[in-house]
Amino acid sequence: MAPAIEAKNLVKNYVTWERKGFIKRTRKIVQALRGVSFTVEKGEVFGLLGPNGAGKTTTVKIITTLLLPDDGEARVLGYDVVSEAEKVREVIGVTLSVEKGFFWKLTGRENLKYFGMLRGLKGSYLNERIEYVLGLVGLKELGAADKLYEEYSLGMKARLALARALLHDPPVLILDEPTIGLDPASARTIRELLVKLARSGDKTVLITTHNMFEAELICDHVAIIDKGKIIAYGTVEELKRKAADRVSLELIVSIPKNMLNGLEEKIVALTGLREVALEAIESGRTRIRIVARPGEEEYVIEKMLEWLYSNNMKVHQVRIKEPSLEDVFIILTKGGSRGG
Amino acid sequence: MGVKSTDILRAGFFGMIAWLKNNRWLLFSMIIWPYLTAFLLIALGMIYGSFETYKERLNIANPILYILAGSGIVMSSLFIIDTVATNALYHRWLGTLPYLMLTPTKMYKVLVLEPLPGALLSSTMGILAVLPGAVYFEGLLGAGKLLIVLLLVYMGMLPLIGLSIIVASITLVLREESNVAAFLTPLILLVSSVFYPIDVLPKVLQYMSRIFPTSYIVEATRMVATYSIPEFRALFIVAYALLALTLFYNGVASIALSGSEKMVKKSGVI
Repeated sequence: MAPAIEAKNLVKNYVTWERKGFIKRTRKIVQALRGVSFTVEKGEVFGLLGPNGAGKTTTVKIITTLLLPDDGEARVLGYDVVSEAEKVREVIGVTLSVEKGFFWKLTGRENLKYFGMLRGLKGSYLNERIEYVLGLVGLKELGAADKLYEEYSLGMKARLALARALLHDPPVLILDEPTIGLDPASARTIRELLVKLARSGDKTVLITTHNMFEAELICDHVAIIDKGKIIAYGTVEELKRKAADRVSLELIVSIPKNMLNGLEEKIVALTGLREVALEAIESGRTRIRIVARPGEEEYVIEKMLEWLYSNNMKVHQVRIKEPSLEDVFIILTKGGSRGG
Repeated sequence: MGVKSTDILRAGFFGMIAWLKNNRWLLFSMIIWPYLTAFLLIALGMIYGSFETYKERLNIANPILYILAGSGIVMSSLFIIDTVATNALYHRWLGTLPYLMLTPTKMYKVLVLEPLPGALLSSTMGILAVLPGAVYFEGLLGAGKLLIVLLLVYMGMLPLIGLSIIVASITLVLREESNVAAFLTPLILLVSSVFYPIDVLPKVLQYMSRIFPTSYIVEATRMVATYSIPEFRALFIVAYALLALTLFYNGVASIALSGSEKMVKKSGVI
């Protein structure tokens, strides 16, 4: 039995032109994918994780037939994405961006009707599917089905994007960052729905995300992609074992805006550890995550607190945690400080 | 499942109707546009000369109706160019282009068929908007003449669609900021001969006018407006010219669009 999605050694280079002066331009080759391979089994939620510019969207575009690979091959339910592109498009539901992709002056229901017609759905079946998906994603409940798209909040837009992907009842869903920018409640609704669809047994879901918490919560298997290469692949638990010999330090700090620039490099220099990540959270606070080896944590915390206080930064919380998928991600994408 | 051409046309038609229903001001502006243009041209024209001079130079009986019908034709032609040629660009701005391309059929089929109902509908509206004016000046005969003009516009649509697809292909391959139709629109206005005789233009523009279908439709309209019974033989010549342009533009368009599909999918500009 063919897997739901199979990518074998995908290679993609982009040609860009860098302007040098008014007329002169130089040609630049950007290697977006450098031999990406992975398999997604039927009925699972698969997460393709990676930082910005890692190659996630390029992979998705190739799998969804929107982009031709330079080398390698990809199949969806056994159909080749290049030679059998039309068959592939029949069996996939796609969301590429949750904040656009609809007609602003049409209502949610009208937009779905338009895209349903474009897929060959018609008559009462189309109307039934529209009602069903509007209910499934909660837009009916929110009273937004007959509102103009221009009046939608980002959460509603994300729900409508998912509704469109589900409209023709495809067996495979391919969703590029389906919860990016959403408020926690909307993101949770989308996540729960994706898990429900996959667990019901008739849908396979591939999502790309850089939200490790989300991946940990819903994905059966994950692949981490960085600089166009898959650098880790397995279940969430398998990947977490890669960081079993580490501890994770988390500091929640209020940092003045002018200090944020180059902060990561400063922390690396201060602690001697390269596995550092910053994340802006609510109320202007910043979460600093540092992955260390057992025994190093006290020294690192002491150094950090000393530096933060000397720069008049307010520390709200300090925690030492078990490594999470996010820590694995930090270790793998930053290359590891000491042989990690 | 499979997607038929009629499915794409139905979707395009539904999208256009829903869009007009939710944009009533746009609908209103489409109706009054020929009248506003005609008013402006007549007001400007009066500064330079009388109606009599205009009648003599263009050999027409009713300058107001002629300008009104001409504005409708130009508006309809521009609608077609605008709807078909800038369709890909419009969808790219909206972010709907990838979803159009995800339709399980050939990309060129979607890009050609999807805007057609909108183009047809808006060009029909452009001409029908002139109907009250035509009835006012010439009664039922005016309405009949306008019907012939509408048929000519439909005939002229065929080469215009080909031309628009060529423009769409170029627009699709180039980056977002390149809108080829923006260069084409004023050129069509200039050489259409609707507002002034073509022989007052420089020679190079006169030759250029021969490759734009709009010029032939306007010429045919002048024949319809000049004689109470249209000179059918002359209209046939116009029809042959439009047919030749249809074959030429649509032939080039099919090559251009399949080439641009490959380039777009290779370069990833979607």
